Amino acid sequence: MPYLGSEETLKELKRALSNPSIQADRLRYRNVVLRVIRLMTQGLDVSPLFMEMVKASASVDMVQKKLLYLYMCTYAPLKPDLALLAINTLRKDCADSNPMVRGLALRNMCNLRMPGITEYIQQPVLAGLRDKASYVRRVAVLGCAKMQNLQPEAEIDGAVVNELYGLLRDPDPVVMVNCLRALEEMLKAEGGVVINKPIAHHLLNRLKELDSWGQSDTLTFLLRYEPRDEAELFDILNLLDGHLQSSHGAVATATLRLFLRLAAAHPAVQADALSRAQGPLLAMCASASRELRFAALCHVRRLLRSVATQYAAHYKRFFCSYSEPGYIRLCKMDILVELVNDENVALVLEELRAYCTDVLPELAQAAIFAIGRIGQMYSERCLGILVSLLGLRQEHITSAVLQTFRDLVWLCPQCTTAVCRAVASLEDSIQDSEGKQALIWLLGAHGDKISSAPYVLEDYIDSLKAELSSLVKLELLTATVRLFLSRPAETQDMMGRLLHYCIEEEGDMCVRDRALLYYSLLLCGVEDIRRILGGPTTDASLGVIAGHSEEPVDSWAPHFNTLELLLARGCWNAALSKGGFHSTGDFRLSVVHVRDGPHSSLSLSLEPALSPESFERHWLELDVSHVGPVTCPWPHCLPEALQAALQLVQIQVLAFSRPQSLPWKAYLYSHGDGTLILAEVLRDSTQGADHLQLTMKQVPRDKHVLQGFVAVLKSALQALSRDTS
Amino acid sequence: MIHSLFLVSTAGHIFLEKHWKSVISRSVCDYLFEAQGKASAPENVPPVIATPHHYLISVYRDRIFFVAVIQTEVPPLFVIEFLHRVAETFQDYFGECSEASIKDNVVIVYELLEEMLDNGFPLATEANILKEMIKPPTILRSVVNTITGGSSNVGGTLPTGQLSNIPWRRTGVKYTNNEAYFDVVEEIDAILDKSGTVVFAEIQGVIDACVKLSGMPDLTLSFVNPRLLDDVSFHPCVRFKRWEAERVLSFIPPDGNFRLMSYHVNAQNLVAIPVYVKQNVSFFETGSSGRLDITVGPKQTMGKTIEDVVITVHMPKVVLNANLTTNQGTSTYDPVTKVLVWDIGKLNQQKVPNLKGSLSLQSGAPRPDENPTLNIDLRIQQLAISGLKVNRLNMFGEKYKPFKGVKYVTKAGKFQVRT
Repeated sequence: MPYLGSEETLKELKRALSNPSIQADRLRYRNVVLRVIRLMTQGLDVSPLFMEMVKASASVDMVQKKLLYLYMCTYAPLKPDLALLAINTLRKDCADSNPMVRGLALRNMCNLRMPGITEYIQQPVLAGLRDKASYVRRVAVLGCAKMQNLQPEAEIDGAVVNELYGLLRDPDPVVMVNCLRALEEMLKAEGGVVINKPIAHHLLNRLKELDSWGQSDTLTFLLRYEPRDEAELFDILNLLDGHLQSSHGAVATATLRLFLRLAAAHPAVQADALSRAQGPLLAMCASASRELRFAALCHVRRLLRSVATQYAAHYKRFFCSYSEPGYIRLCKMDILVELVNDENVALVLEELRAYCTDVLPELAQAAIFAIGRIGQMYSERCLGILVSLLGLRQEHITSAVLQTFRDLVWLCPQCTTAVCRAVASLEDSIQDSEGKQALIWLLGAHGDKISSAPYVLEDYIDSLKAELSSLVKLELLTATVRLFLSRPAETQDMMGRLLHYCIEEEGDMCVRDRALLYYSLLLCGVEDIRRILGGPTTDASLGVIAGHSEEPVDSWAPHFNTLELLLARGCWNAALSKGGFHSTGDFRLSVVHVRDGPHSSLSLSLEPALSPESFERHWLELDVSHVGPVTCPWPHCLPEALQAALQLVQIQVLAFSRPQSLPWKAYLYSHGDGTLILAEVLRDSTQGADHLQLTMKQVPRDKHVLQGFVAVLKSALQALSRDTS
Repeated sequence: MIHSLFLVSTAGHIFLEKHWKSVISRSVCDYLFEAQGKASAPENVPPVIATPHHYLISVYRDRIFFVAVIQTEVPPLFVIEFLHRVAETFQDYFGECSEASIKDNVVIVYELLEEMLDNGFPLATEANILKEMIKPPTILRSVVNTITGGSSNVGGTLPTGQLSNIPWRRTGVKYTNNEAYFDVVEEIDAILDKSGTVVFAEIQGVIDACVKLSGMPDLTLSFVNPRLLDDVSFHPCVRFKRWEAERVLSFIPPDGNFRLMSYHVNAQNLVAIPVYVKQNVSFFETGSSGRLDITVGPKQTMGKTIEDVVITVHMPKVVLNANLTTNQGTSTYDPVTKVLVWDIGKLNQQKVPNLKGSLSLQSGAPRPDENPTLNIDLRIQQLAISGLKVNRLNMFGEKYKPFKGVKYVTKAGKFQVRT
């Protein structure tokens, strides 16, 4: 920060520092040094004083020493040749009788960060490891890691590593934790510090002595340990039990994570741990610090994916108060949606209704989207609220309501009539492109039920020149052509104008191409275009799959207590930002709106398609990879619906028996991670109605993919049966 | 773990930086400023910001952003708790945690940060251990220093506490007056709706202790009604097994001030609401004006007086001014921030405080569609509103007889009434 007079100041300071009378007076000397440090922290370059400052470091005054160490660490990389002068003083301090001076000198020597320093610090660091004061040992242990950082390409000294492993038995708990931290850094290339059985047990036994930071770190390191047998596992869990309810959030969550990881094979233990950790987590959700509250809420939001029912009784804790920052309120709304059940739905909706008129448009819209998500289960109540919100005639509210309507109509066809009535009586105009897209889609898809549809669309077509968003234009094209199919007389003229404009004048190639496509389709004849564009305007099965399903704990446990949780936006927002999958009725299946579920790691695909003949050939050639019962209720729906639903999770049903026949069979296939999976589902009357027998063949074999496939199939069937029952 | 720390004022001025691993340019804070620009208020800046090479975890406290720069995966709660600990330490040392006090004591701040973190890992964070290594500034000491010209404010010796078997207590503590004080502080978080029905209420309590006892005392604290408490969390010194079995707190206390436990009382029926509020805020359809009428009175106070009652109302933007009269306390309306503050003071049974008058609105603006929320602040001495009572405190392990005291205070936390 070059500012006026800085040269003068430097000169003056230089003079003062070398003035013998000031040097003799400790207090005055220190004050001059203090001024230099002040200037440094303000961003002024005071490195020209380095020489004088090094001299000043040979003082007995502790504060002055600390200040000078700070100065040296800042400027040593800039003046490596002069910094060498300081090393002598530092090395002398490393042999001081006061452990505090020794520790300080050692720590700062390691912090100098200049080339070639390693040869000077190696000896003091190694001596520090055996120092009798724990304070020095703590510093020396971390010094080993710093030394490694200074020359990353150098070989790791095996002797030092062994010494550090040995120091894990140090009587001072902080030295022990620092050893873990240092080893982790030094051995990064080899996968970090190794936790074997004796080390793990040692750490567990000493956990109680550590401060909360040490506990949190140690618990994270312990995640690497795999207990040998059940007895050991339960011994460990017993030791950890008390920490689940620690008053430090970091310790409590770290313990919970370790519990979930260790007890991966014991769902009952996991459930128990989750319910015991509920108290501390809820307490953190109400903590005085905004940031802690937010972090805790993010954790709870993730927990809810598996244990929503446990928290349902506490829904009132997630009501927002107006003084809370937006990010907390968004998080709380997400949680409220997950917690809704038959008993609290009325109160939750009333609460969310109050948020809809929030001053911040972003929050108001989030509240409306939240109501929309609840609307997928309790459509009537929510529709009432949403329609009444339209009456407020606030632009951002109307836009959000229309977007929710679009989703609702798509997912719950029973809403269509009410939505159409509301849209028909809509008067105000919408400005933002998201809202426009939603309105235009609704008009296009349900134009036959909205009497004013052509006139509204005509307005948009007339003002097309002023429209900036090409997404809106694309939407408008599709909607107009769709409307033409249901109400040709009123639409033909304006469709002509629209196509003419888009083909002749439009600059955006996507829009022009789409217009040309529709034009050629229209030339082919109305029947063809009806076949292509006239796809379903709702898809209830999507709603089922997007709806609630309990996820296994393991699907999120690895991310628990990590930054990922806090950064992850609500899954719904992410889905929304994928952008108007509704708009492209003709490419309906291209974007599958399935929530990022537990199986996201496994990507199934239908491509390349398999012909029935080649399926048969494969089926006869291959050996059975897996035979087993699937315990899940049988969806009582038509096989066609089953086929459509499974297609959405990228499983193709190739053939199936007639609906009511028993035994009933279906043949499925899918591709996943480069393997082909063939499956036969057999429903047999002899073994009870809910019993399905699954026979699978896979080439090439991959057990992991096969398990993923079974899980996907199972969750799809479950979702479907919940919908139909 | 924590790579660097920046302290940033709300005006966007970086007034302190400290690097532990390598020096990271100040420009990394630009991402924070960007987020601050998007947020309507500094409180709204998200605590975690991802940048291309780092993560910024920030805590906003006392008009200062504490920004930690992170380069590897860390448990987020860990960093957030640590930043709060840093702020609390400053508060403890300088009496207040503000830009001015940090700048004044920049040397001590650097000394503290140096001891609290090494290579990015927490080293010593317990206040009483830090205070032995670095003496807090006091007026007396600075006077003495000026006169004698010597003695630094750094302890020359290492704290012995680090070497005792119990990490939170040093050995060889000696006091002439042996005393143990406990403050039971409860905060009511509640939301009342228009008609005064409770939408949501819970009590958050803490027990703060100030224990100055010689030697290694072993204390046992028991309550009259421990079953009241949900979600308790303890200082690490409390023996959890005994709490689970007998519901008593048994512990060897740290030396000095510490938080013994914090707890919640959620059962709605148990939460007594100490005041009632009758309010009527309405805006007229025509004539761009409105009316306001608020009455506050004591309800379930168990015979104690309610003090320091302050009602804050955030008015809609269109309210230009308020013309109000009250029979107790003072009321002010700030037309810039649109905040109405009614400072009532003590509530007494005979005369019920009332505030009424008219509001003038911006002419031509539409009638605001939502009514403002009242925010209430209050304080009741000598009462824990949950009814929690300390039964007795026993001491073992030492011969002397300590002086013991328990104080109860109830405060309003997030207490709001909707209109």
